[in-house]
Amino acid sequence: MKGTRDYNDIIGGALMMAGGAWFSLYAMNYNLGTLRRMGPAYFPLCIGLLVMLFGLLLLLPALRRPGSMPLPEWRPFLAICTAVLAFALTVERFGLVPATFVLTALAALAELRPNLRLTAVLAVALSAIAVAMFTQGLGIPIPAFRWNH
Amino acid sequence: MDMFANLALGFSEAFAPQTLLYCFIGVFLGTFIGVLPGIGALATISMLLPLTFHVPPTAALVMLAGIYYGAQYGGSTASILLNLPGTPSAAVACLDGYPMGQQGRAGVALLMTTVASFVGSSLGIIILTAFSPLLADVALSFGPADYFAMMLLGLVAAATLAQGSPVKGISMVLLGLALGMVGTDVQTGQQRFTFGIPQLSDGISLVALAMGLFGVAEVIASINRMLVGQKAKEKITLRSMVPTARDMKDSALPMLRGTGVGAIFGALPGAGATIASFMSYAIEKKVARDPSRFGKGAIEGVTAPESANNAAAQTAFIPTLTLGIPGDAVMALMLGAMIIQGIQPGPRLVTEHPELFWGLIASFWIGNVMLVILNLPLIGIWVKMLSIPYRILYPAILLFICIGVYSVNNSAFDILLVLIFGIVGYGMMLLKFEPAPLILGFILGPLMEEHLRRAMLLSRGDPMVFLERPISASFLAVTFALLAWAIFALLRQQRAQRRAALATSL
Repeated sequence: MKGTRDYNDIIGGALMMAGGAWFSLYAMNYNLGTLRRMGPAYFPLCIGLLVMLFGLLLLLPALRRPGSMPLPEWRPFLAICTAVLAFALTVERFGLVPATFVLTALAALAELRPNLRLTAVLAVALSAIAVAMFTQGLGIPIPAFRWNH
Repeated sequence: MDMFANLALGFSEAFAPQTLLYCFIGVFLGTFIGVLPGIGALATISMLLPLTFHVPPTAALVMLAGIYYGAQYGGSTASILLNLPGTPSAAVACLDGYPMGQQGRAGVALLMTTVASFVGSSLGIIILTAFSPLLADVALSFGPADYFAMMLLGLVAAATLAQGSPVKGISMVLLGLALGMVGTDVQTGQQRFTFGIPQLSDGISLVALAMGLFGVAEVIASINRMLVGQKAKEKITLRSMVPTARDMKDSALPMLRGTGVGAIFGALPGAGATIASFMSYAIEKKVARDPSRFGKGAIEGVTAPESANNAAAQTAFIPTLTLGIPGDAVMALMLGAMIIQGIQPGPRLVTEHPELFWGLIASFWIGNVMLVILNLPLIGIWVKMLSIPYRILYPAILLFICIGVYSVNNSAFDILLVLIFGIVGYGMMLLKFEPAPLILGFILGPLMEEHLRRAMLLSRGDPMVFLERPISASFLAVTFALLAWAIFALLRQQRAQRRAALATSL
């Protein structure tokens, strides 16, 4: 039983304190102004200090409380993130259809046993829906394919 | 008499073909995602926010609202058939709805939830219609200091009344306020926290923030959970849905009580549909002559909470539309959609945009009638939809998120923002932080700063103005009372925990 603390709140509190400190310091780059005429730094500085305070309030009790360690599900996390990133990088350069294929394929990797045929069918179907709905229907200016750059 | 003229205006607006179409799309989608576990109203409304750039304001808001109250209808279906709530507020429906299904009374449960939903919604709309203009009139006399105090109260209430630790809730609100600071300062033109990135000079895109926090993060967290197959065994026929006279009689009063509870909790900031349905279940259990029936398929355990969450979904619009103070994250997104359309929410909305305000309310009536039609004869379709595998759904959700956010500014940068907030949102889920209050802070942050600055300018730097004005002073008093109550509850809980820890170690 020894050594298990409430790491959720310890990590969260520490991150908030760091973020709040950085936010308040960065806000000082701007003009603070006076209470009567508040400058652009006034409100953010107060927010940053409050974030630090609440980070501390979260961190301190958690140090003495039993709890658990957060366990990320790395496989879906990484697969979904790369899928979105790949879409962002391909959509403007190659067009909507290739980007949809890349996204569907990478997203399928989130499962332990991806189904190749289902993914292929899904990619074709989603591309068709996307082009019909967004490019044709709503007139969003993303071409289905883009060859010459 | 004014009321009828206004409602007539509203109905003429809501019966316009385009508005009707968007109303139908909204309630249809709402029922669909309400039925399906693993995707909620918050994620869906975030996904459809970009569409508001392409359609007129009334139609857009009618659709987004339809998703919200439509999801309240659909949510209980999965609870009754699979013991798996389709929406958070339908979790209560599992308690007695699933046992009813086990006893072969799933059809009755489904019919009665639809009836209860309709009763709750209708009464909720009447309350909304009656009280909104009154409240808006009162709010017209608010000054900047009063507004600041009211927003403070809204944020503190949202953070402390929501589930989970109030410290975490307030932390999330503060993070939202901080994120809201990014962009150009309205009063001085100073670029704040933009790091020289031109896409950030208008602030962080609400669409990207909401889609990342609620869309991408939810997909990541749901994949492993949802891939386990599930199927409703039962076939729901129209005949199996006919309730007995006893079912009707046992439900009449609970529905009214549920509506009352829901109407109050819906209008309060921070409470909302989920708390309303749990509260109403607890009340039914308390007033019942035989409380032991609950949990074993008691009909009032299904109908009362169902009326409550639907009434709450309607009255939640009261503070949002009349004061510009959203009670929960969904309402914050609605408010965001209005701001995107260039409509300033607040007490002037009723007088300056009557067609929008009354059109929206009229559309609630129409939408609820559509929902009854969608839910009663067509229930079989929704039951079949429960067997759509998540492995088909989640790539589609991701794709709609990516294209949707891209379409707002035609910039791939916004997709990267979604990715970043998706990672942040998943991190929050892991650390057991509820991201919903963050959106409230994000929306209200810039408005609060503006009102604070204006109030201080008017009072010549004297902070006592917040205590001298009676309206602002009473808001602040309630805020402090809430905070004191939260601290008291927290201390008591910690003492209990310590005592429990001591007891186990001995």
